[in-house]
This record gives sequence, C-alpha cells and structure tokens, in this order.
Amino acid sequence: MQIYVCVKHVPDSAANIHILGNTQIDEKVAFLLNPYDEHAVTEAAVLKKTVPDSDIIAVCMGKKDAEKTIRSAMAMGADRGLVVETDAVCDSMTTARALHAAIVQDGSPDIIFTGKESIDSEGMQTLFRIGALFDFPVVTNAVSLEIKSGKAVVTCELAGGRTRTFQLALPCVLGAGRGLNTPNYPTFPDVVKARKKPIQTISLDSLGIPPGPGSAKIVALEPLIQKRRPKKILGTPAEQAKEIIRILQQDAKVIS
Amino acid sequence: MKQAGIYIEMENNRVKDTSLGMITLAARADVFLYALVLDGVDDSTRQNLAEYGINTIVDMPLADDPQIRRNPAVRAGAIADAARELKLDTIFGLSTAEGKDIIPRVAAMMDVPLVMDCLDVNLEKNIARTSQYSGKVMADIQLTGSVIIFGIRPNAVQPVPAPAQAQTITLTLDTTVPANLSLLSWDDGEDGGRISLAEADIIIAGGRGLKNKENFSLIFECAGKMNAAVGASRVAVDEGWVPYACQVGQTGEKVSPQVYIACGISGSIQHFAGMKTAKMIIAVNKDENAAIMAHCDYHVQGDLFEILPELIKQL
Amino acid sequence: MNKKYDAIIIGAGVIGTPIAFELCKMGYKTLNVDKLPDAGEGSTAGSCAIVRAHYSTEDGVALAYEGFKYWLDWENYLGNVTDEKGMAKYMNTGSILLKSEGHDWRKVQKNYDAVGVKYIEWDLDTIKKHVPPIDLHKFWPVRRPEDPKFFDEPTEMLEGAIFCPEGGYVNDPALSAHNIMRAAEAKGGEFMFNAEVVDIRSENGKVTGITLKDGTQIDAGIVVNVGGPHSFKINQMAEGVWEGCNIKTKSLRHEVMYCPSPEDYDYLNDGYHMSDGDIGCYVRPEVGNLFLIGSEDPDCDPQEWVDPDEFYAGKGGHGRDNVLTDEQWKAQCYRLGKRIPTLQVPNQPKGVVDLYDCSDDWIPVYDKSDLDGFYMAIGTSGNQYKNAPVVGRMMAELIDACEKGLDHDKEPFQYEFKYTKRTLNVGFFSRKREINYDSSFSVNG
Repeated sequence: MQIYVCVKHVPDSAANIHILGNTQIDEKVAFLLNPYDEHAVTEAAVLKKTVPDSDIIAVCMGKKDAEKTIRSAMAMGADRGLVVETDAVCDSMTTARALHAAIVQDGSPDIIFTGKESIDSEGMQTLFRIGALFDFPVVTNAVSLEIKSGKAVVTCELAGGRTRTFQLALPCVLGAGRGLNTPNYPTFPDVVKARKKPIQTISLDSLGIPPGPGSAKIVALEPLIQKRRPKKILGTPAEQAKEIIRILQQDAKVIS
Repeated sequence: MKQAGIYIEMENNRVKDTSLGMITLAARADVFLYALVLDGVDDSTRQNLAEYGINTIVDMPLADDPQIRRNPAVRAGAIADAARELKLDTIFGLSTAEGKDIIPRVAAMMDVPLVMDCLDVNLEKNIARTSQYSGKVMADIQLTGSVIIFGIRPNAVQPVPAPAQAQTITLTLDTTVPANLSLLSWDDGEDGGRISLAEADIIIAGGRGLKNKENFSLIFECAGKMNAAVGASRVAVDEGWVPYACQVGQTGEKVSPQVYIACGISGSIQHFAGMKTAKMIIAVNKDENAAIMAHCDYHVQGDLFEILPELIKQL
Repeated sequence: MNKKYDAIIIGAGVIGTPIAFELCKMGYKTLNVDKLPDAGEGSTAGSCAIVRAHYSTEDGVALAYEGFKYWLDWENYLGNVTDEKGMAKYMNTGSILLKSEGHDWRKVQKNYDAVGVKYIEWDLDTIKKHVPPIDLHKFWPVRRPEDPKFFDEPTEMLEGAIFCPEGGYVNDPALSAHNIMRAAEAKGGEFMFNAEVVDIRSENGKVTGITLKDGTQIDAGIVVNVGGPHSFKINQMAEGVWEGCNIKTKSLRHEVMYCPSPEDYDYLNDGYHMSDGDIGCYVRPEVGNLFLIGSEDPDCDPQEWVDPDEFYAGKGGHGRDNVLTDEQWKAQCYRLGKRIPTLQVPNQPKGVVDLYDCSDDWIPVYDKSDLDGFYMAIGTSGNQYKNAPVVGRMMAELIDACEKGLDHDKEPFQYEFKYTKRTLNVGFFSRKREINYDSSFSVNG
C-alpha cells in the first residue's frame, strides 16, 4: 500500500503569538507537527503493521523549515518525506492543489491521512479539497479504522459522544481525530533512524499549479484580548448557588 | 442584490436557534435570502423561517432512509445542486459537528472558497472574522470567487425576528448515495440527545478539582438540570474521567456559549484557548489564586462539593 | 502615619517565608511583601524542589544535609500548623549520582565523607537492577542535537554511581512556601500580596522602610531582600547596596521538561532522583508517571540572561520569554533518551520555564549589606530550595546578631546547625567574597 500522510508545520499552541504588520505573525516561535497529524501518522504506522509492504510518505507544504516536521513524522513511522517548498502563505484551495499535484507526481495513493484540522489556520477543509481533486471519498474526525475486504470502515465522532460509521472505497482520504489512537511518540533510537530517511524537496513553482477559481486571503490579524472584570460571589454555598441561578436567569437569560 | 442560501439545521423537526442566528447575520446586508431545508418543511418551520427574514424557503426533502438522509456527502451534494440551480453567490452553514462534515464538502465539490467557524461576516466586503492560532488571534479573511461560503460558529449571532413574506419552492434532487461513501450505522449517544458542546448555551465543565471519575457525576447531574453540555479540562480527559469529546481547549473543542461554568478548573492557557470567547465565564474554585479567577466574570470561591449539590437542589 | 514593623521581608517564596517564620519565633514583628497574589507563586513554583546532598563544597553538602532533617520533620518544624491548601510532602526516592566526567564526583564523595552523608557505591549491574530501562554507555561530552556528533554511537561504559538513600523531592514547592507562611502567621507574621516594592528608603546610612508601587510607605529598621530573580533590582533600589557587593546576581532563564516515562516503567513509584553529568541532566519522578528533566547547564547550551519583568510578561521573543523552546525540549529529552532508550518524546514541549536568581559563582549570598539594617538572601542559583528552612533560621540568627552589634564583615557569624551539630562560617556566603572557584558554576552549586 502507498500511504500518504499530509502533515503541517504549525506554531506550538503554547507559543506567544505576536502580529507583525497587519497580516503576519512573528514566526520566531517553536513550530511543530500539527497535533492532529500525529494521530494521522500513528494510524498510518499501525496500518503498515497489518500490510507490511506499505510505504508511508509524509507530505508537507511550507517553508524550508517544514523539513523538521517531516523529520518528526518520519521518527513516528513515515518511511520518507516530501516537502513542497514555498515562502508564500497559501489558502486551502492552493494548498490542496499543491499537495494533490505532489502526490500525483510521486505515486498512487491507496490511503491519504490528514489531521482533521490544523491548529494554526483552523480551516477544516483541505482534506475535503484533496479528496475532491482526486475524486476520493473523505471522512473527518475519524476515531477508528478497519480495512475490510478492500474497503475502509471508519467511525467518525460528532459532538456529545455521537458517532457515524462509514464504509469508504479505497483509495480514500481520512481526517484523523483525537480519539483515533494514542500518538506513538518517537524514542531516541527512532529519531536516529529518521535522520537517515530520505526527504525530497520540490518547489511549489515547479508543480505549475494553475490559479484556482477563488481565493481566501487574510486581510487583518489582531490579538484576541479578553477584558473581564471579575466579581466575587460570596456567602454560604446555598446563597452562592442561588446567586448563580439568578445570574443564569436574569443576566444571561439562558434558563427560565 | 446578493443571493444567499442558508443551510438550515433542524432538531426534533424544529429549526435550531443557531440556524435562526445565521439568518439574522446574513440579513444585515442587502441580500435575498433562501433557506435550504433538507429535512422537510411544515407550517411551523415555514412561519419560523419567515419570522426571521427568509424570502424563499427551498424545500429539498431527502429520502426518509437514514442511510441516505444522514450521509454527509448526499447532504453536501444537495446543497451544491441547489446553489447551482438557484444561482446563489453566497452560502451559509453552521460550524456544528454536522456542519464541519458538510460545509467543507460543499466548498470542495464546488471548488469555491470557504471560511469555517466565523464569528462575524461582512457581506459588503466578503470578509469573515474567525479565530486562529488556538484562539489567540482574530483573523479577517476576504473571500473572492463566483460563490463564497461561510461556516458560522453556533451562537455567534443571536437571532432577531425580522418578519418577511416567505414563499416556498420545492426542488427535486438527485439523491443517489455516492458509490464510494456509504453510511453503515450511527450512534446518537446512550441518552440519545446529549447537548453538543459547540452548540450549547450553557456549558458546565469540570477539571482537576473534581478529583475522580465518580465525582464527575455532579457535573453531569447539574448539566441535566440546566440543560447544559458537559465540558472538561485536559486533566479530566487524560485521567479518564470523561471521554475526549468533552474536552474543551486547544486540542479539544472550541466553544463560545452564552455561559461557561468552570468547576475546579485552574484555567491554563491551553484551556482558555478553547473557551475564552464565551460571553460569560463563571468560575467555581476553592483556590482564589487560580488563573481562571482573574479571567472570569464571576468567581464563586468555595468548595464545589458543597456548591454543586446546592445548585442541583435549587434548580 | 506609616505602618511600622520590626522587619520587612521582600518576597514570600520558599526562602522569604522561613526567614519570617524564624524572626517571628525570635519575637520580631514581620511583614512579607510580594508582588504576586500568594506565597510561593514566583520562581519557587517553578522549582524542581530536589532534595539532595551533593554539592561541590563541603559547606554546601553540610547545609543540604542539615536541610534534610527539616523536610523529614516538616509538620513539627512548622509547629503543626494547619494549612487549608494541605501540606507539601517530601518524597524520599533516594538519589543516584552517576560517576562521570560531568561531575567532580570524587570531590563530592570526599565532602560526603567529611560531613558524614550516608552513601553506597553502585557498580553498573547494581544500577541496572535498580533502574531497568537504563543504558549505561558513556555519552560524554554533552552536546546539542544540532551537532551531528550528538548522534555518534557510544563505545565506552560509565564506571558506576554513588547512591544516597536519603534524597528525593518535595511534591509541591509552591505549597511548601504556603505552609511556611501559615506557620509564620501563627507566630504573628503578616503577609501582603500584590504589593510591588519600588523604593527602599534610608536615612543617614540606615534603612528606614519601603515604598510600594501605589505609593504606600511602610517603615522598618530591618529590610531583607529575598526577591528571587528580582533580587538585583531590589539591591539597586537600596542606597549603596548594589555597589557594595563583590558578588552580583542576575536572572537566568531556565527550562525544565516533563516527558512521560516508558509505559512499562513505573518511574513515579519505582524511580530515583538521578544526577547525570554525562548527559548534563538531572531527573526526578513527577505526578502522571513523568520524568522531570532538568538541565545541569552544560557548556554547549546557551545561557539567556533576561530582565525578569519582561520575562514574566511573556516578552523578549523565542528563547527569551516564558515559553519552552523546541530546541531545548529536544536537547534535554533526547539527552535523556540516550540514557533511557525506551523514553518516548512527544513533539509538543511540556514543562516549566522560570528564572534562576543566579550569582557570579552559583553560590548564594546570605549576608548583611553596606546599608545598615538591609540584608539579603539572594543568588540562590536554582540550587537552594532544599536549604530553605535552614537558611531561614540562619538568616534570622544572622540578622539578630548584627542588630545586636556584631560586625559580620569583620568577624563572620558562626551558625550552629540544629540537627547535624556542625558550625558553619556564614562568611562563606559573603557578598564581599571573591568568586569561589570550587563551585561547579552550575545548578549543582
């Protein structure tokens, strides 16, 4: 099987984000493998155990530095890496076209894994666009996967413990959710091994992607500053409970 | 004049309030509003949609067979077909759990731009406001294209009645289930209708202060009494007290309910990333120095094992 | 009228609170002021709270060994006070010092012998028996993952370890300071929080009090600087104090990592505190079956001297602010990953970034100053947590002696250890000393 895993190089969610100019962030912060993509890579490695001849290819679009995230993915089980290098900030339509073109150039996928979303742009759509470009079925927030007689049986989670189980023809695109597995983080020997695995870099320009029929462009970024003025609710537990209920009824108007 | 289609989510044959909020948001601009309804239009639905300003209700009944009706690819295909048929230039849907599985499909099928999880939309400029970087940054994103799509965060806008004369048209759809994606089964949760985090008006969440799984039942009981969804901090999930789906935070759900009640949650930066856009935060915590006590609207200082039972009793 | 106390202690961390406690017991009326909302919330909260005896100097070892006795007798030491937040616990894990080129362990061993610290020498098999997942290859010298040689295959083995059955850590350092605060309060001590000192007032070469940011003046004839990473700023506020110190302090940024233990190893319950100079790390168990990985400041690692106010405000940018860096995360975790080859290292850094109040020779300054009535317990350099209760008592006695006319600079105060019955020349910690080249110039002290 050829298993592709699309990964993204994102700022650490714990980083202090500073905005430069109006539309960019200061990128001098820790970048790492998008947390949902960790589940995607782990699941690919789990699948490879049952289909031993498989080749896992981690694909990432980004700046040169994105190679680090490919190394992380390789330390977690990917066999080789593919970087689509660009300094440009691309929207989801362009990103999906680039990843599609890079994968087509590289091989023929049986499964494409992604995370269900990235924690930086939080767009939630690139996986669906990749699926549409390939004409592969897509599901998102997958929490279990089984390959049965050439089909993928995937359970996806909705909110509140609700699930849907789908059958997808292969090849398909699967968006990994948190419940899919426990990420199989690398040991030091895994990291040593990953250093020797090959990474191929292709420039975005060399893929010759025609512009899409639309675009999404960031026109302004601003830090979210929350101004709250905490008020104390004092008294006995009974009085405190009474006051909470009053606030819910009269101020927030959320209970009757 | 813009032609906007609003994909209406229903629950128990009623239009969800969060869908009505989308109508209010869209109606701020000079726009002709279509309601795209896939789950059947009865009189009360018709009245409800008209009351909030829909001009044309598009009744696109899907087959009753849940394997067809619930298939997100079928639903997305129906919306895309309607958009082409009605020559819509703008589509709205909700960033609910279902919406996240449907709206991006529509965008991908039509190959048009989309912003999910919008807190606000400026239809004059086609600019949507959404959060990025784990909720630390607000981004204004401008869309260009013959059709543009916005996924609206539930509760981002409160519905305001704006009565219109609504006509109803029926569109007959080709609802074949795609051969490569079929729905085998579904599980709506053991109690059938637990409120989803993303849509709840009230979320009551528990953290380390609950101490163990058994104590978490206080949170569930309280949630049941006030019709709230149950949330949790990462600690509570990591300890196995509640399932992942309850987790609020940067690696969990991001929510903006009317009221967020944090019980025994210290308020780490990671937790705040998921709930800081709540309209009101009430923190119940013994520790008056917990970070959350400085970033809430009300802090109830005390023992949650005394306060929660009182709340349950009084509700 | 300004409020008046006998002594004002600037800081309510793990060193400031026991100074108040001991002064109160001696009859002084004290006030601790702290810019944070509660006791122990500053750099104390970021401490790894390791309790171990190995130091480069005999006095260092003696002080640490004396400190043990306080932690072992915590409730009694605190006068059996109750704290509504609960009591901090000393966890005795035993302490392994690997014999390596990264530590002058022979000197440590000599100091142990001199002080009478109990220890056993372990050979490699014994270490392996106690720490099953360990790889005892020699990885020296310490390098960074950016250096290709970091990944070289090791060929030699280490030679063994010195094991002290007494050693471990305190489970909640902030809580320990809070406990001591409650004990001090029980003896009449007062505490004021969210109060930032902006001036130290003095007249005719004698300290008279402090001024807070909101303009409040509080008077006292004794002011003690226990400002932690802010100590150099406090010294600069007091007339002639900074200039009169031969040993200065600065704040050093420091990262400590939490990495999950391998699943088949119950590190939390079966693990030891271990100082491993061969990889430049020390480790101890942390709740959640995590390895807490501290750095022993190897020469190859960058040192970031930062402004404490900017740091705590999250300013200064990557590697200078209060967020862990991916580079240091990998450096510390991969170093330990060599020692524990089954350790799985997550991609997202998890841990604590805080500041050391670091002196020029990584040995603290426990002293009077050139301004009458102004004292300092500073320069704790990341290695004094364990000594805090002893330091509290020693500082209180030093202050009392000086206030009664002792010229400590000429005739250094001699402190009698309560438990181990040794005498310590407090002049060892003088601000006027020359740099002590016996020091390890690291967190090891």
